[in-house]
Amino acid sequence: MGELVPRYEGRCWKFPANIPTDALVKSRYVFDPMDEIVKHVLEDYNPRFPLEVQPGDIVVAGHHFGQSSGRAIAAKALKATGIGCVVSNAFSRTFFRNCFEIGLPSLEIPDATDIVEDGDHLVVDIAQGFFRNETSGVERHVAPASPFLLRMLAAGGLINLTQSDPDWASTANT
Amino acid sequence: MNLVEKILARASGQESVKAGDVVVANVDRLVMHDLSAYLTGKVYDERIGKDLPYPDRVVTVFDHHFSPPTEQQADVLNRNRAWTKKRGTQLFDCGSGNIHNVLMQNGLALPGQIVVGSDSHTPVHGAVGAFAVALGNDSHAGTVMPFGKAWFRVPELIQIELTGELQPGTTPRDVALWLVGQLGEGSVIYKALEFTGPFITSLGIWDRWLFPVLCVDLGAKCGYVEPDDVTREFIEALPGGRLDLLLNGDGDPVEDVRRFDVGVVPPTVAAPPTVGNVHPVDELVGTPLQWAELGGHGGGRLEDFLLAARVLRGRRIHPDVKLNLVPGSREVFRQALELGLVADLHEAGGTWFPPSTGSNQTANMGAMSEGRR
Repeated sequence: MGELVPRYEGRCWKFPANIPTDALVKSRYVFDPMDEIVKHVLEDYNPRFPLEVQPGDIVVAGHHFGQSSGRAIAAKALKATGIGCVVSNAFSRTFFRNCFEIGLPSLEIPDATDIVEDGDHLVVDIAQGFFRNETSGVERHVAPASPFLLRMLAAGGLINLTQSDPDWASTANT
Repeated sequence: MNLVEKILARASGQESVKAGDVVVANVDRLVMHDLSAYLTGKVYDERIGKDLPYPDRVVTVFDHHFSPPTEQQADVLNRNRAWTKKRGTQLFDCGSGNIHNVLMQNGLALPGQIVVGSDSHTPVHGAVGAFAVALGNDSHAGTVMPFGKAWFRVPELIQIELTGELQPGTTPRDVALWLVGQLGEGSVIYKALEFTGPFITSLGIWDRWLFPVLCVDLGAKCGYVEPDDVTREFIEALPGGRLDLLLNGDGDPVEDVRRFDVGVVPPTVAAPPTVGNVHPVDELVGTPLQWAELGGHGGGRLEDFLLAARVLRGRRIHPDVKLNLVPGSREVFRQALELGLVADLHEAGGTWFPPSTGSNQTANMGAMSEGRR
């Protein structure tokens, strides 16, 4: 199993509340190759994002991010932009699940969009449940994800975990 | 334990589970539509590739493309057909109906079962007391297909208690939409919702259907109605309808109960852009419309065509309006034929479409131009 590097540092891209998965990958692109899909991620909310996003950048989105369709390709496309991790005030249930399952680190901070601006320098520690805005000095501590989900991230996603660890099912609640 | 906890405990081989536990449970049914089946099958072939141990648990329904508009989409359906044949899974091809309606009508979502699917409206099967949840494709490809299992976090429960009598001119759909306005979109993320109270128990299964189908808009993980005699009678009449897995919750007190009187609900409309934008119909009367459709995950029921025919029989729709009628399944269309509803709504100016999920994602029924509604 891989080693989880749970700490991410990068530049903030801030997005509003209630963004549906269709804004991450529109229905008309779902059958296209990923290098085409990533050119359109979140373009309706910020056309600069897919053009200017840099490896390690951090997306901070408002309440109910990734709502509506549970298509995993939405989380895969966001990961494929090269961002380090994604933070939301509250993720939609299926998007939260898909993030861990496809190996995109994520953390919920209930007032995240109130304490960041575009371009702020952020530090996020998934395993500790720690968030710091280096630009403003504001910090937050939250409960970290369950050990099972952290193992999933460390393995690089659910399929890697279940294909490499024969005890994945019996150890899920530990 | 409540119903969800009892189903998850049994399916994970434990005496009891509680909210917050992570369990790995045996899954009874995986249902996918044309889009999710393609993406999931591709992941499965690339990453796993072995034979499925339980192919009969996997069902695919082509409901987004009853007649694919492009070669690319036709090719996706052909790849799906080849995949289901190779893997031995069940397929309902174009024209069968809406994914969830087809599953229910064919006795493939039963009380006490665990039903999963990529479609965000999968929780609708809680209408008969199944634990029904939308998962992502990697759960389906990585654990449901190769192991017959999935991981779940046991959700906290909120009871939604509905009492009182409807005002004349209101229907259970008005109550369901009004409820989204009352609770708020994305207001109960990760929770299980139990719909209960005398109003709910007075409804048939296809009207109960209208409540858990809205879980995705509320943010809930799942929703259900405790199975009762109405459930038993409905399930026994289905092909393959079985009650041997049926469970009921123990009736333990629930901390978070939200009580509503349906007697105050007005005829209600959910306007664009999302289901949470609900208004009393009085506020919107006179708004010009060009496009109307009875269809989708919640709207192609026999009940919808009965209501429409009651209003439109012997009358004509406005010449500026296009009324599309999309039965949720072949069974719905057959019953609509027998009851004379097909002729009534045809004469009124409506256009019948093949059983499918209608204009969902505008894959198939044509696009609307800017400014039309």
